[in-house]
Amino acid sequence: MWTRLPGADLRRRWLRRRLPPNPLQAYLAAPLPARRARCRELEFLALDIETSGLDPARDRILSLGTVVVRDLAVPLDSAWYRLVRPGRPLSGDNVRIHHITDDQAAAGLPLSTVLPELLEQLAGRVLLAHHAALELGFLNRLCRDWYDAPLLTRAVDTQLLARRRLQRRGQAFRGRDLRLYNLRAELGLPRYRAHHALSDALATAELFLALLPDADCRLREVLC
Amino acid sequence: MEVELLEIRDFLADHAPFDVLSPDLLEVLPHQLVVRYLRRGTAFPPADATAPALYILRSGAVELRNSDGTLSDKLGEGDLYAGLCEADSSVSGVTVEDSLLYLLDCRALASLREASAAFDRQFAADRAERLRRAAAPRPGAGIDVLSLKAADLRHREPVTLDADMTIRQAAQLMSAQRVSSVLVTEGERLAGLITDSDLRHRCLARGLSPDSPARSIMTPDPVTIDGDELLAEALLCMTRMQVHHLPVLIQGRLAGMLTLSDLARHQGSSPVLLATDIQRADGIEALAQICRRLPELQLQLGLANTRPSYIGAAIASITDALTRRLLELAESRLGPAPVPYVWAAGGSQGRQEQTVHSDQDHALIISDDLRDTDREYFAELARFVSDGLNACGFPYCPGNAMASNPQWCQPLQVWHGYFNDWIERPQPKALMHASIFFDLRAIHGEPVLLQSLQEQVLARTRANRIFIAHLTAAALQHRPPLGFFRNFVFIHDGEHDATLDLKRRGLLPIVDLARIYALSEGIDAVNTRERLEAAIATGALGIDLGSSLLDALEFIAGLRIRHQARCLREGHSPDNYLPPDTLSGLERNHLKDAFRLIQSLQATLENRYQAGRFS
Repeated sequence: MWTRLPGADLRRRWLRRRLPPNPLQAYLAAPLPARRARCRELEFLALDIETSGLDPARDRILSLGTVVVRDLAVPLDSAWYRLVRPGRPLSGDNVRIHHITDDQAAAGLPLSTVLPELLEQLAGRVLLAHHAALELGFLNRLCRDWYDAPLLTRAVDTQLLARRRLQRRGQAFRGRDLRLYNLRAELGLPRYRAHHALSDALATAELFLALLPDADCRLREVLC
Repeated sequence: MEVELLEIRDFLADHAPFDVLSPDLLEVLPHQLVVRYLRRGTAFPPADATAPALYILRSGAVELRNSDGTLSDKLGEGDLYAGLCEADSSVSGVTVEDSLLYLLDCRALASLREASAAFDRQFAADRAERLRRAAAPRPGAGIDVLSLKAADLRHREPVTLDADMTIRQAAQLMSAQRVSSVLVTEGERLAGLITDSDLRHRCLARGLSPDSPARSIMTPDPVTIDGDELLAEALLCMTRMQVHHLPVLIQGRLAGMLTLSDLARHQGSSPVLLATDIQRADGIEALAQICRRLPELQLQLGLANTRPSYIGAAIASITDALTRRLLELAESRLGPAPVPYVWAAGGSQGRQEQTVHSDQDHALIISDDLRDTDREYFAELARFVSDGLNACGFPYCPGNAMASNPQWCQPLQVWHGYFNDWIERPQPKALMHASIFFDLRAIHGEPVLLQSLQEQVLARTRANRIFIAHLTAAALQHRPPLGFFRNFVFIHDGEHDATLDLKRRGLLPIVDLARIYALSEGIDAVNTRERLEAAIATGALGIDLGSSLLDALEFIAGLRIRHQARCLREGHSPDNYLPPDTLSGLERNHLKDAFRLIQSLQATLENRYQAGRFS
């Protein structure tokens, strides 16, 4: 992943010059948050996407939700939620999991509208997701397909933070202990309904605040 | 596209004071909040707060302390801290668990209060205002008929008859007007009352000529009621006086007639009927049978939204009737009393604040003419009544504060000695006993015996600062809780109760305060309401604090009535232990207001009499 390489900001400037004017190019105008910056000085964008499956090549995004983390708090006026209008009918399984029916999905917006909106929000912010590989996988795929370049971003994965914390404490854990809702319960955070993109984004943002090692920590301590 | 923050909206919709907001406002409100996470041990409100805000605790726990370091409150899920939006915010605290909080900017709070009158009311900064609402009848729980005025239920012009007319004319008038009673007048003055049963018993059965004057069969100078009195008062009057007809006077002029059947039409008759049945019962078996209807009566009165103070008085008036009947039965068995006496009820019956299944507290005050040979008579009498009350569902007093205890069955002179002792040498233990006997009310016999005792007692207590100081110290044993934390009652640092003892931690502190005011001001009332009203009248208790205390009393008594109704419906005997999870958020807040008020009045008295105790 690009973000792990040194000189990510060089890469950003190079990409920006290379790309034609498009939403990704506009996104790249804002500098990436500095790795040495303190978390409390940064803005994060907690993102959750609901998808029809796990494979970015075959599956599609059904809905997206975000909230911003600013001053280590979540101002809820930042809440953003979009249903995506599908190209083909939804399968029964996904309707069951996400409670999104064809009728609702039909009321959604095309991805061509939603993706630029998302990139605009992400500009200058750190992406925050639980099991971020899924979000990054889908966004990268979309950016490559549409804008002919990967998504260059800094990302924090709350699942990874939780795993590191458990390892540091020498606690034994199973895979399911790392699920968003089990971690929240473990940390005494309230129960939210799962599999709604906005609820999950908020749940992730709160989990992030609870998992932060301390208020003065630097971004590089929590990056993927 | 619509962005719904369902989790947060649903949470707010479940919690006071947000639960009164309209769906529209509830939809918008979550978007105005900011979520914060404070680790355990963080100062609260957090030092880095940007703008003053209302804090809503979503999870975790916060302890708040007064400026002197004493614990003032402990917040759990759903609790609010509005201190930063109010003028005084001398409180500071710390999170004692990792806590998730929702912040609402004080300016957003202000506009929300402007947008919703119902919300604004719940937020009323004025505690007195909140308590007044808490004490008001519950909307939607049915109209409390008994809180209507006697004048409201007057259906027709009074049917009157001159005292010089004949019995026949009275009967003809009653038939023509289709009434069961007629008022007998002498000029403008109400002279008497004739009912159907008077025609039967006093005329026909005795073979009296129908041409005799009406005055010969009337009940002279009947009990009347003022049109401004509440129907509850009329009901208590009928129960006490054993009458079924009450002429209604408005500004002293005869205005109509209130009958038991008027009240029956409005389901308000049962206490009178119960008292009438008690009056007619011929033995303990029959009385016990009748008293089994008492819980049902309390339940009915509660459901009818009757004011708690009147329910307490109604239950007491029935216990009074029962006590009187038992004394009559005892006297018919043992013969008439050798010397005059008065049977006095103490405790909740004495104060007319009784609920079903309360313990008996009573005393016998006997004329000083008592001879040693008569003692056995009164011992028998007291035993009979006490056993009878027990058989009727009023258990023996665990502290044995009963006339059947020889210590409390004594001639007046001995009683004077007791009270002197309590007042001059107030020991904490003696005072606990004494509190029952400072609330005595004459039930049967010669009330003048009790009256003379009470007059002297009040004259002594009134001037006695040291006694009042000790009484205050004893009363401070009954402290209200600090509040609620989660589903526990938060007593003080490190102590939680699973249930709220409504009597010991809610009502008794107010009862004790009222007794202190009464004894220090020489107020002769024993009912807590009346004592407080009198203390307001003498200026000993400020009118604002006093009215709030009356509201707090009514509110807590109402909670007890509803809790006991729930016990009765669920088929177990009513108690005073309220589980906090049955309280709404609003009720919790009202209770907290009441607790704070009691605490501050207790603190005032404590300060006032601190010096007296040691001087």
